[in-house]
Amino acid sequence: MGDTHEGHHANFEARIARGERIEPGDWMPEDYRRQLIRMISQHAHSEIVGMLPEGTWIPNAPNLRRKMILIAKVQDEAGHGQYLYHAAETLGISREEMLDALLEGRAKYSSIFNYPTLTWADVGMIGWLVDGAALKNQLMLAQCSYGPYGRAMTRICAEETFHHRQGKEMVVRYARGTPTQRPMVQDALDRWWWPTLMMFGPHDADSPNTPVLVRWGIKTRTNDELRQEFVNETVPELLACGLSIPDPDLRHDETTGNWNIGPIDWDHFWQVVKGNGPMNRERLAARRQAHEDGRWVREALAGYAQRQ
Amino acid sequence: MPDTQWPRYEVFKQDAPGQPHRSIGTIHAADPELALLIARDVHVRRPDCASLWVARTDDIFSMTADELAAHPDWAAEDIPGGAVAQTFHVFQKTTQRRGMTFVVHTGDVQARTAREALRLAMQRFPKPEVFVWWVCQAGAVTRSEPEMESSWFAPARNKTYKQQAYYGETGARPEGSGAGDEDDPHPE
Repeated sequence: MGDTHEGHHANFEARIARGERIEPGDWMPEDYRRQLIRMISQHAHSEIVGMLPEGTWIPNAPNLRRKMILIAKVQDEAGHGQYLYHAAETLGISREEMLDALLEGRAKYSSIFNYPTLTWADVGMIGWLVDGAALKNQLMLAQCSYGPYGRAMTRICAEETFHHRQGKEMVVRYARGTPTQRPMVQDALDRWWWPTLMMFGPHDADSPNTPVLVRWGIKTRTNDELRQEFVNETVPELLACGLSIPDPDLRHDETTGNWNIGPIDWDHFWQVVKGNGPMNRERLAARRQAHEDGRWVREALAGYAQRQ
Repeated sequence: MPDTQWPRYEVFKQDAPGQPHRSIGTIHAADPELALLIARDVHVRRPDCASLWVARTDDIFSMTADELAAHPDWAAEDIPGGAVAQTFHVFQKTTQRRGMTFVVHTGDVQARTAREALRLAMQRFPKPEVFVWWVCQAGAVTRSEPEMESSWFAPARNKTYKQQAYYGETGARPEGSGAGDEDDPHPE
C-alpha cells in the first residue's frame, strides 16, 4: 500500500479515522488541500479585515483602560491573521497570492465585518456577540485534522477568550448604566444580532461543503448545531441584562430546551457576501491603502537585507 | 504583483527556563535579526516566553512518518570527502494530542549532513512513535539573548487585561454587583 493513488487514499482515510493529525509533507487528497486553503485563507482575511471596524474606535475610547484593551485586541487580530496565513502556506499557496486575492476583491472574508461600527457600544457588542460566535467555530476547528490549522486555532482561542470577556463586561455594564448608555447598547444589539447569527453560515441543508468537511475531520459540527448552541447560551444572558432581542418569533421550547429563532433573511446575507453590504467597498479600500502605504517599508527592508 | 515574498522562518519558543524549545509557528522576514523581532511581535503577546529561536524554513530538514514510509531510501546520499561534522538540533513530534505545539527540541547530534543527522537522531532519540522529525544546524539558528528578557518578554506580564481571568465572572448578575460598581476606578 502507499504507492498507488488508491493506497494513499485508503491510508489517509484510515489516519483520519484513527484521529491522527495530517502534517505538512504528508500525502493528502487534492480536495482536502483545496478545501483547507479556501477555509484558512478566508479565515485569515477575516482577522485582518476584522481589525478595521474596531480599530476605528481606538482614538475615541472613553478612557485609558478601554483604549489599552482595544489596542491589545486589535493587535491580537493582526497576529491571528498571521498565524492563519502561515498555516495556509504549508499547503502550497504563498502569502502574497492570498493577499493579492483579498486586495483584488477575489477572496471572501466574514461578512460581519461589512457592517459599520456606529457607536462605542458596538465595540462591546462585537466582543460579546461576534467574538463569541467566532469562538464557537474556532473551538471546533481547534480539533481539525490538519495540524497547522488546529494548532493556530488552539492559540487563537486561548487569546480570543479575553476579547469575548471584555465585550461582555462592557455590555453588562452599559445595560445597567446611564440613560445614555442603556439605549446605546440596545441599539447596538438591534443592529448586530442578526448579522451575528448569519456568521455561522447557511443552514445545513444549504451547505454543500459540510459533509465532506465533517468526514475529513476538518469540521466536527454543523453550522446549525453551532448556531443553536450559541443562541441557547446567549439569549438568557442578554435577557438577564434587561436587553430585548430583535426577534418577535423568538421562543423557548420547553421540550428541547432550545431557544427557537425566527427566519434568517438569507437574501440580505447573500447580498453582503456578494459585495453589496454597507461597508464592503470601504473595507477593501482601507486594506488597499494600507498595503500601498506600507510599500516603502517593505522595499526598504528588502533593500537592506540584500546589502547584508 | 510579485511584491516581497520574504524568506519564511520557523519560530521556536521556550515557555520557561529549563524547558525545551517548541515550534510554535512561522513568520516572514527580510533577515534573521528582523525575523527574531517579528517572531516576538507575532507569537509572544502573552507572558509565557523565556527564549526565542528562529531558523529559515529552508535550513530545516523535515520528514514525517508518512514520508519516511513512502521513501525507504531517504537516507541515501553522497557525503563529500572533506565534510566536517557540525552540531544539529533534533526536533520531534511524538503525540497526536490536540494542542498548540508541534515539534519539540529533543537533543543534539554531531553530523556532516542533515540526512546523516536524522539517521543518528533516530538511533540516539528513539521513541515509540515519532510523527515528525526535524533537524537543523545549530549555526543556522538565531537566538534571543538572556538580557533581552526584561525588555522583550517581561512587559507582557503586567498587561493583565489580556488575560480572561482579569474580567472575572462577567455573566449578568444582580444589580449593584460587579462591573458596574460605584467605586469602580474607571468611570465611563
